Amino acid sequence: MSEQQRSVAIHVPVLARVEGEGALDLRIENGDIIQLRLRIFEPPRFFEKFLEGRHYTEIPDLVARICGICPVAYQVTAAQALEKLFNVELSPWARAMRRVFYCGEWIQSHSLHIHLLAAPDFFGCNNAIELARIAPEEVRRGLRIQALGNELVDLFGARSVHPVGVRIGGFHGAPSLARIQKMRGKLRAALPEAEALIRWAASIPMPQDDQRFVSVATRHQTDYAIETGAIGASDGLCIEADEFDAHFAEQHVPHSTALFSTYHGQPYLVGPLARLNLNHERLPERINTLLAEAGFVLPSRNLFHSLLARAVEILLALHEALRLLEGYRVPDSPWVAATPRAGVATGCTEAPRGLLWHRYEMDDDGRVVNARIVPPTSQNQGRIEEDLRLSLLNFGLGHADDALRLHCEKVIRNYDPCISCATHFLRMNVERG
Amino acid sequence: MSPVRILGIGSPLGDDQAGWLVVDALLAAGVHASGGIAIEKLDRPGANLIPLLGDAAWVILIDAIQSNSPVGCIRHLGADDWPAYGRGLSSHGFGVLDSLSLARELGSLPPRLDLYGIEIGPVSPGEPVRVEIQAAAQQLARRIAGDLNASSEQA
Repeated sequence: MSEQQRSVAIHVPVLARVEGEGALDLRIENGDIIQLRLRIFEPPRFFEKFLEGRHYTEIPDLVARICGICPVAYQVTAAQALEKLFNVELSPWARAMRRVFYCGEWIQSHSLHIHLLAAPDFFGCNNAIELARIAPEEVRRGLRIQALGNELVDLFGARSVHPVGVRIGGFHGAPSLARIQKMRGKLRAALPEAEALIRWAASIPMPQDDQRFVSVATRHQTDYAIETGAIGASDGLCIEADEFDAHFAEQHVPHSTALFSTYHGQPYLVGPLARLNLNHERLPERINTLLAEAGFVLPSRNLFHSLLARAVEILLALHEALRLLEGYRVPDSPWVAATPRAGVATGCTEAPRGLLWHRYEMDDDGRVVNARIVPPTSQNQGRIEEDLRLSLLNFGLGHADDALRLHCEKVIRNYDPCISCATHFLRMNVERG
Repeated sequence: MSPVRILGIGSPLGDDQAGWLVVDALLAAGVHASGGIAIEKLDRPGANLIPLLGDAAWVILIDAIQSNSPVGCIRHLGADDWPAYGRGLSSHGFGVLDSLSLARELGSLPPRLDLYGIEIGPVSPGEPVRVEIQAAAQQLARRIAGDLNASSEQA
């Protein structure tokens, strides 16, 4: 077989406790990309069907099982939707603690992604173990930050993986003042570490890759939107969660078990960089000063800034958690009662990987008639393919297959796709004709 | 710091509970969390395992393994048994050996580490735990309890 026609398949060994796989098919002919498909062949999980017939009180714990990395996002989005339908007004305590709880998830998920998944790419390392050999202090710091995020989730969720603290109307319990005071000390101590992380992330040389895309994220009048807000886009869109279907569409494609999403017929970006692009003016002044010092100009059209964006959001989450836990008081009750009613509930929040949208049709007894969940990874799937195409052309198709694969992996990891194995998951078939 | 930390690793999926069963057996045999011993079950902890290694003098880890040995076979895995890792870490697949390898690079391994694997063979999620696994868990718990006793007598 000639060099121009060779076909190479790169296989990744099967790992224990891996939940699924993705693959990329790339066909290059005469210096052009003829086919580029990001395939997700993880079997459908039918979670939405599992929810049918379930009582509203079960929903937060059921949806938490969708993801081991971002269960808080699923819980809080479901709770937000159902509380809106049931006209439940959260207490100021519960509203604030939902945001703190969510901050914990951002801290742990972002730190995991930066240090164990994404950063090795930019140091010529195959994995975090190799990275630890050349940047042990940075990896240690990353693990400390990740552990702190987990601890924050555990504080309100009773455990850090698949937490069980959220209920419709608030939380099942409230942490004691002593535990909160201890946590505040740890959060305060982590601030300089997170600032150092931003400086480190900003110092990592990144490919220059300027692309046009629409950023989509929730927006809030005063806060950097996390657990509540309207849906905004960089073209000026601003809608409520229940208007989602008028602007966004999901469709099946033959090569993926995940749905592809489009916004007005086009791919779009969700996630940390989209959020920063839309909401950077809501960052605390201290963080904007740091970004100015680091030369990070927003909005950014370079997806390789996603690693730095995550570092920025870690510091933001630490600031927010500290702010909201100031003057903490144990409430008389951590929840308010809810009375179910029939209707359609929609909700949206910002999962670590981007916009997460839920829709539930409920009956009079508070049971789910049907459910739809649109996770960030499926929304980003079309954008990833578009990005790969543009980025590969920018990179140069003449590179060796290994270099092409590594570049594709880097591009895909910018999105932190949660298709079960986000790192080195790529089984890439390159065909040259 | 707990001088001894016993960690049973697993999931609710059939025989993958092997590590948890050892913890149950130890608790039933009177090995309780106390001033000198921390004992807990972990559900697929990923990299969260690392902070639990650094603050103990002796860590005993028990997990299910698949190594083509007879089902119920107990293996004591030394560092030489940890497979070499080239490419192959992921957020969801960051397993016990990945965490131990990373902890080793970071100098975070405890002075004494006993890693035990109980062979579970092909996984059958949803099936009850097989009798061979239950027997192995009991056997391993007795062995660990014996090690703990011997250690306390030496001290």
